[in-house]
Amino acid sequence: MALTGLQIFKLLPGTNCRDCGYTTCLAFAMKLAAGQVSLDKCPTASEDIKATLGAASAPPIRGVTIGKGERAITVGEETVYFRHDKTFVRPTGLFRMIDPNRLSDGEIEKHLDDWATIGIERAGELFRVDGIAMIEPAGSRERYARLAEAISRRGMPVALMASTIDGVRSAVEKIKDQRPLIVPSPGVDQSPFVALAAEFKLPLVITGKDLDDVAATAVDAAKHGVTDMLLEPPAKDARELHQNLSRLRRGALDRIHPGLGYPIFLRVAAGEFDKVVIGITKFASLVAMENAAGEAWLPYWTLRQNIYTDPQKPLQIDPSVHSIGEPDENAPLLVTTNFSLTYFIVSTELDGTGVPSRLAVVDAEGMSVLTAWSAGKFSGEKVAKELRRLGATEHVKHKTVIIPGYVSVISGELEDALGDGWRVLTGPQEASDLNAFFRDVWQPMMNG
Amino acid sequence: MSLKLQPKKWPGKIREVTLGAGNRQPRTVGGGNGLPLHTFEADFPHRPVLALEVTDINPPRWLDIVREPWEGLLGKPADAARKAAEQYGADLIMLNLMGTHPDRGGRSPDQAAIDVEAVLDAVRVPLIVKGPGAGAKQNDVLARVAEKYHGEGLVLHSACQEDYKTLAAVTVAYGHVLVSESPIDLNIAKQVDILLSDVNINLDRVLIDPLTGGLGYGLEYTYSVMERIRLAALGGDQMLNSPMICLVGEEVWKVKEVKVSERQEPRWGDQETRGINWEVATAWSLIEAGAEVVVLRHPDSLARVRKILDAWFAEGASNNTR
Repeated sequence: MALTGLQIFKLLPGTNCRDCGYTTCLAFAMKLAAGQVSLDKCPTASEDIKATLGAASAPPIRGVTIGKGERAITVGEETVYFRHDKTFVRPTGLFRMIDPNRLSDGEIEKHLDDWATIGIERAGELFRVDGIAMIEPAGSRERYARLAEAISRRGMPVALMASTIDGVRSAVEKIKDQRPLIVPSPGVDQSPFVALAAEFKLPLVITGKDLDDVAATAVDAAKHGVTDMLLEPPAKDARELHQNLSRLRRGALDRIHPGLGYPIFLRVAAGEFDKVVIGITKFASLVAMENAAGEAWLPYWTLRQNIYTDPQKPLQIDPSVHSIGEPDENAPLLVTTNFSLTYFIVSTELDGTGVPSRLAVVDAEGMSVLTAWSAGKFSGEKVAKELRRLGATEHVKHKTVIIPGYVSVISGELEDALGDGWRVLTGPQEASDLNAFFRDVWQPMMNG
Repeated sequence: MSLKLQPKKWPGKIREVTLGAGNRQPRTVGGGNGLPLHTFEADFPHRPVLALEVTDINPPRWLDIVREPWEGLLGKPADAARKAAEQYGADLIMLNLMGTHPDRGGRSPDQAAIDVEAVLDAVRVPLIVKGPGAGAKQNDVLARVAEKYHGEGLVLHSACQEDYKTLAAVTVAYGHVLVSESPIDLNIAKQVDILLSDVNINLDRVLIDPLTGGLGYGLEYTYSVMERIRLAALGGDQMLNSPMICLVGEEVWKVKEVKVSERQEPRWGDQETRGINWEVATAWSLIEAGAEVVVLRHPDSLARVRKILDAWFAEGASNNTR
């Protein structure tokens, strides 16, 4: 919990020495509480105060960055249990695991070339493989270093899934400037890995037999100089995974233990689709997964996009008139809101009808049709104004506009507002019925 | 320093609603007194249940991937229901009377009743009956079915804010369960439950359908509205504590990401597995958000979600069936 100005004031020396730049300790305390100034401005603050304040002002879950450059990924920094309370801020990093014990270097290079270039655009987001989790090859330190370097060379963040300290050290030495994540195998003695992470100031995954053990190990690692950590909870099945993820997030937000305030790491075997779904919805920060192809990645990416969308800011697209196929002046003109999902669905269905048409997407602040209408953003007058502004009325000869079936009530008002002989036709409620609408209503009308 | 992880306790709990009566083997949902699936800190006398969707006519817009498991059974609801319950392991059946819609043949309420009777004869699991959608026909069809098969505890889908009186009346008169639908909106969900209780429906006979957005098509809205409804219920709101039902299959199997073949989009991977993954991801996310009744289309999706639930609720499962 953040401290109030008065709580902080009680911890300050109370000398009003002004060395901090403020006239009184109280004024300084207020600025501290607001996060507008740092405690090091106070020359006489004791170590105790620094520790207390430092802990209180730190975010409940530390932000940890893996990788360097454009593709570096930061995870953590979450502040809520439910996305509707604010938003989830750092989308789950999805890492592809590679096992060099099953592949030749040539095959690995080919995979890396491929995965580094994957980029699927959806609703304004570019879906990519966020990083590579490289398992330590048996028997060759040089090979591990070489493979780690091969990932870094392509700009992708690296997780080193290490089984031996010597192996991972050789890889770390090769790419230490690339901020790789060190991931010891579960069950190994973690102390040498802690020392290595501390020495190179690198992020480290902490494991444990239960959450008590994980938290205690994290505190111990912090004492030994590791600042950036991810916690890997035990997860033998979906239920245990969900339980531990939920308790870790809640414990971190409630600040019940200093060892819990870190992002969460999760490794999943091939075919454990459900664990990834649970991880994305329930607080996992970084998931390293074995063999999974596009048919799994596409739903993962899309789920992550949904869960990490800011609930306060609906996805919207720019208002404009979209052509479906090659519409002429007799083609139907439809209108809908600029909520991106509404647009996706309507344009997908329009495309499916095979009838060339124009879809006027009007500014309704990114709300869906019914919501926009009830908020007064999709009234007859507003829609008329937008249709004129976008020039939608200039494209067609028939002076007819089709409105969504759910807002049939605006048709009179819209006709009046458009004037000039325009008429309004009420379309179907669901975009999926557009095909039947064109067949049964639009075409007979145009032909008759 | 060991962790003090206190279980979170809530003043409210979810209502228990029993689906199916008469010749049905009844199945109760709800009753939980904690956040969904938080089995480590709350009690859940009943687990979420899974339904498969069967149709009265050969559905014109179903993809081949979801048609294949029902080969030869599409438009034969009794045979499809038998396969769904006996072979595919559905806890209950949803009969979608899509053929009663004026655009899809406009089958009469009497024809619909014949289909319902055939399904009721074929299986003993509870039955959800879905009408053609809002409008006069919806009430005609569902009221006819409700009257004719009184006492079977049918789940009638659905009533909404603008039109609930007819279905509320037959639900009370003939001993059924009513689904109250709202457009991804907590306030309207509450309003419909208030309206229903005003016309003397016992809310122990109501399920909330918050309206499902499929993965990539509004899932996040449904997810958060459901979480908020659940929190309100656990906080003690008696007008929002009905169990929730989500019609996942019909939302999933129409989106672009399941329709496009691997040949068209090689990066998207195998189309069949992708579609099933899409349905599983949508279903599971909504179970996490509080869905207690989930309606699916592909039996493989049902099998996969069921496997997770079976393991989840394996302990203390003896009281889960009734």
